[in-house]
Amino acid sequence: MSVLSIKTRIIKNIQDNLNLGSIKRLLHTISNKPVLALYGSSIKSITDKYLNIYTIRNLNEVYSGKYPVAFGSLFLPYELIIGLGLKPFLPEIMGGFTAGLGISGRTIKAASNNWYSSDLCTFHRSAAGACEMDLFPKPSFIVCSNLACDAAGKSFQNFSRKYNIEKNFYFIDVPHDDDGASLSFLSKQLENIFYEVSGKLNKKPDIEKLKKTINCSNDFRKFAIQANNIRKELYDYPQYFNGLNYILPFFGLSGTKETVNLYKIMTGELQEKLLKQDKNKKMKKVLWMHLKPYYRNEIFNILEKNNCRVVFEETSNVFWDELDPDKPFKSLAKKMLSNPLRGNGENRIKAVQQIAALYDIDGIIMFSHWGCRQSNGLSRLIKESFNKKSIPVLVLDGDCVDINNCPAGQIKTRVEGFAEILNSI
Amino acid sequence: MYTCGIDIGSVSTEALILDIDERKDYKILSYAIIKTGSDSKTAAEKSFKMALSEAKLNRNEINYIVATGYGRVIVEFANKNITEITCHASGVTLLFPDIITIIDIGGQDSKVIKIDRTSKKPIDFLMNDKCAAGTGRFLEVMAKTLEINLENFGEIFLSTKEKVDITSTCTVFAESEIVSLIGRGVAKEKIIKGLIYSIADRIISMVSRVGLEAPVCLTGGVAKNSGIASAIEEKLGVKLQIPFEPQITGALGAAYLAGKI
Repeated sequence: MSVLSIKTRIIKNIQDNLNLGSIKRLLHTISNKPVLALYGSSIKSITDKYLNIYTIRNLNEVYSGKYPVAFGSLFLPYELIIGLGLKPFLPEIMGGFTAGLGISGRTIKAASNNWYSSDLCTFHRSAAGACEMDLFPKPSFIVCSNLACDAAGKSFQNFSRKYNIEKNFYFIDVPHDDDGASLSFLSKQLENIFYEVSGKLNKKPDIEKLKKTINCSNDFRKFAIQANNIRKELYDYPQYFNGLNYILPFFGLSGTKETVNLYKIMTGELQEKLLKQDKNKKMKKVLWMHLKPYYRNEIFNILEKNNCRVVFEETSNVFWDELDPDKPFKSLAKKMLSNPLRGNGENRIKAVQQIAALYDIDGIIMFSHWGCRQSNGLSRLIKESFNKKSIPVLVLDGDCVDINNCPAGQIKTRVEGFAEILNSI
Repeated sequence: MYTCGIDIGSVSTEALILDIDERKDYKILSYAIIKTGSDSKTAAEKSFKMALSEAKLNRNEINYIVATGYGRVIVEFANKNITEITCHASGVTLLFPDIITIIDIGGQDSKVIKIDRTSKKPIDFLMNDKCAAGTGRFLEVMAKTLEINLENFGEIFLSTKEKVDITSTCTVFAESEIVSLIGRGVAKEKIIKGLIYSIADRIISMVSRVGLEAPVCLTGGVAKNSGIASAIEEKLGVKLQIPFEPQITGALGAAYLAGKI
């Protein structure tokens, strides 16, 4: 059986039986070794195979009810969550999954029926709808921050009410500035969460476990940097290496051994591809900013057909320094503060300018996801900053989750038109 | 060599045949403009046949065909598809070599294209969002609501001094607003003046985002409406260049680019 047909059957099963019990049973069934082996056997890339299997296993654990689950927003230091022995679950990423599974129409509608405004981004709306439909596992804790996304604090607070765990809702206030006072303020918040959650779990605070998690995160960071370095030379690789497919391990599972393995495998596979690469083949190098549509779409195929390749993504940037396991809270606070999406827009512009120079970028596609003001608000300055360097920027208005808010024909014309511009330079 | 460009838009389809010599000098042999209707494939075929007939050529005498416009992918007999952005840019710069900014207002989309002064190739563009406001379709709906022939809008705009502001951007809401204005006894001429300014405002907003640089060319079926052209000129403060037939620039560019295949 091909991977496509297995995937199609899984998706159809979820679409036809959209309830928590069915999702649990399905995850349990496909997590069985023989089924996973069959599923994995038809995936050619070992990295893609590992990612798929790892994601299924992780979701099965989260849904199993055997472990305490923490909902978290995208840019948390997940080393803290994993170090506490909690299973992270990222509703925003699951919002993206609903698009891939073809159920976002239903989840978005459920959110609408429960007073979520159509002005709210669909990662949040779809997650909120899934929450209202009881499609998510019940969390024990909810942790979120205001880093980049202001909506997370509000959406996630609603989730805490839905699950009746308002006392286990933690909001991390990430300051605007990166200075000593901000570091202390943020570090103290992380430390408080660690000790308070440990207490609520009736566990002695296990700093050694947190240190191990941080060491794992450092190992992942090392391999991610290696992979990124290889990508500076590599342009001819399949789409599954697109970093936008690795958001869950890169952010939500940093600090697990599996993520270290994933990036170790990726580094090896990319190195092999680099050695085999046809050096005479030249493509236009595109940097992708923000996220991508997670439903089936043709954007990346259109780029490939038109001699363009996304060679790097803003989300693949290893922006943080190595963490110090002996100063876990300070290190994790530093990681949060060094995120280019924090504070002034100049931080983000500077970061993407550096990436563009490192990867010898020919053009930028900035996906302007509906309702994501932290990103879209900066589009003019981003465009102007690159235009000064004669690098074309396509601000592609669309929606990462709601296919009905992203007409395929219009997207095709814009992407093809942009590719034609890049190829004419 | 003989080449053909076919531009399949949402409202109209244009086919244009060129005779291109070795120095890449060109001569327009014929063109046809027809309604696209519900079947874009048939419209492409029909317009091609009409253009062939006018040029007194057979199908097999055409060396290359390029299809453009939203329906470009369905033209099976085309050698290549190129977007309307590149084709419009090519067509306009053939007619007006110094043009820097192109405003194209079609049936269901409007776009602004910026041309590089040196290479004469497009370097930036912006298209309207998923909404018919500021396009030909918007005008058609309003003409029907007002029960006034769309062809008279230009003359009415130029001869009317006062206007009423149309505040709704959405075509459906604007239609309701107009019905309400008519109900209040507001003169239709003032409504038309307001409508045309509202379209011009949307176009100016797009031009501002891409960055206004003269000379500016206006193309697309809506360019035939003298009222729209005047309103845009007034708002931009620049004189617009308008091709002799503003609907064919996409097909012209496509035909010329076919000569480079």
